[in-house]
Amino acid sequence: MLIELSGVSKIYNQGRANEVRALSDIDLGVEQGSMVCLKGPSGSGKSTLLAIIGCIFPPTSGRAAIAERQLARLPDRFLTLHRRETIGFIFQRFNILPELTVLENITLPLLPLGVPPKERRQRAQELLARFAISHRARFPAGQISGGELQRVAIARALINNQPIILADEPTAHLDTALSREFMEIMQQLKEAGKTIVIASHDPLVFEHPAIDRTVTIQDGRIHVP
Amino acid sequence: MTAMAQRNLEKQLNILDYALSSLWRRRLKSLSVLLVFAAVIFLLASFQMVTKALSDKAREVLVHTPEITLQKMSVGRQEAIPLAYRDRLAGIFGIRRVVPRIWGYYFDEVRLANYTVMGMAVEEMPDGARLDTALASGTMPGPAGQGLVAIGQSIKKALALEGRTTFSLFRPDLSLKAFEVSGEFSPDTDILTNDLVVMNLADARDLFAIPAGLVTDLCVYVANPQEIDTIAKKISETMPSVRVLTRPQIQKTYQVVFGWRSGFGSICLLTALAAFVILAWDKASGLSPEERREIAILKVLGWQTSDILVVRFWESVIVSGLACVVGMTAAYIHVVYFAASLFRPVLMGWSVLRPDLHLLPRLAAGDILLTLAFTVIPYLAATVIPAWRSATVPADSALGG
Repeated sequence: MLIELSGVSKIYNQGRANEVRALSDIDLGVEQGSMVCLKGPSGSGKSTLLAIIGCIFPPTSGRAAIAERQLARLPDRFLTLHRRETIGFIFQRFNILPELTVLENITLPLLPLGVPPKERRQRAQELLARFAISHRARFPAGQISGGELQRVAIARALINNQPIILADEPTAHLDTALSREFMEIMQQLKEAGKTIVIASHDPLVFEHPAIDRTVTIQDGRIHVP
Repeated sequence: MTAMAQRNLEKQLNILDYALSSLWRRRLKSLSVLLVFAAVIFLLASFQMVTKALSDKAREVLVHTPEITLQKMSVGRQEAIPLAYRDRLAGIFGIRRVVPRIWGYYFDEVRLANYTVMGMAVEEMPDGARLDTALASGTMPGPAGQGLVAIGQSIKKALALEGRTTFSLFRPDLSLKAFEVSGEFSPDTDILTNDLVVMNLADARDLFAIPAGLVTDLCVYVANPQEIDTIAKKISETMPSVRVLTRPQIQKTYQVVFGWRSGFGSICLLTALAAFVILAWDKASGLSPEERREIAILKVLGWQTSDILVVRFWESVIVSGLACVVGMTAAYIHVVYFAASLFRPVLMGWSVLRPDLHLLPRLAAGDILLTLAFTVIPYLAATVIPAWRSATVPADSALGG
């Protein structure tokens, strides 16, 4: 298993008056090269689960192993290092910085890795060509279309060739055509060997044939129908 | 270089590149901060440079002053000193020469300006003390040069002499006394000679109607300058009613005056700097939603908190470094080419005849470091320390709910 969660719970503001239990006793395994959809309404805990899988923070309790690395006692610094090497993120609304050019946005994850400018440009150009947006490389990201933005976000998630791709509500602000296009790209990435976890409550996503498994989250727990 | 060191260097260059692009993206805000900061540095550095240049200039020109000056005091006020006092000094070992002088102020009612009038027995003064080295052209008036004067640059302008060499001043009985210009003092000695009219002793006596046998000061020149204080002490003991002023004391008075004025000005300017730093701190403490979002995205993409702090550090170094270069260059231009026109009323007194000083500040590394210490370091502290709070924005805030 590339992703293995066992008895994972997450409590925000533990011991304070505003304590919130976001996840309870989650068991989840994701095999390498598979595509899993985390389904559930807003506030169900999907994003928290995605954040734990994405090594953004460790669980409050339970065991989480991502790419064979236990997260439980990993300090923030090492969580970040592990995330850099292992996880590519695609955000809701794509979270592209609109003032930066397309090329600069795509290469952002490479800056703290000390990748020289020439190599950064080369890697980004390859991805831009792959997603047919080479002509937009020097455009400010704020000036390109929604479909192009989506491909920029995917290119950014792939720039460091991480084995796991996490997508948080990626189709929430896309029309049907763009949502389908997004899922086609995800399918290609899966076929290329990437492990993909998508948090979404969009039927276009969780009913897509490329999805191997859909996990329903409700009130912070995995819902078994 | 090892691969690890190479990678670290590349990382720092990448982060510096990102900091530069970040400043460029917020160019309006960055430019405003830079300009305000440069203005504060300009004021502080100008003040420091002009004070330093004035002090240096004062030290240079005060070599023309007598080593010891004697004035008679009576009921706490200065009055004319009898020439006969010279005989009482004859017995003090170490005195080379005692030269009488009449020193006073002439108020020009037409131009509402005071001229400093000095009547000297030039022929009695030792070499190097005759002020002739301060002349730009002409000669000093000698004992035979009846009605001849050497004048400073402001006097020349005030009297609107242009092509003429003659002018008249009023005696106390309102009769006119005619003078002819025999020499002009160099603008380089403006701090001392700007409003000075030098004439021989007889002319000064005539102009001010001072009775024969009296002068305003006795200038004492000593054989060994190391013994100025000792001789001054002996004179004080011999003639308790005489005020004894030494050249080091006068130099010290100038330094204190410039120091006091510069200190007063610096306090005002440091207050402005403090206000700017507090504003910078306040600005750096608060984050706009766009900035929070950017930091959260960078952190999810694998940036460490320390990487974001380094970005903020470089941004502050670039802004403050540029502000320092701009501010200090502007200050140098202001002092050298515009004669520190902003600070002249504060630092040079309130005389009607202000010297057109040609100041050339010495740029010592210590002074530059002092300016840096008082400006860049507080700014860096005010922007980088609160940036820690900004950089700890949780990465998950970039994710949806």
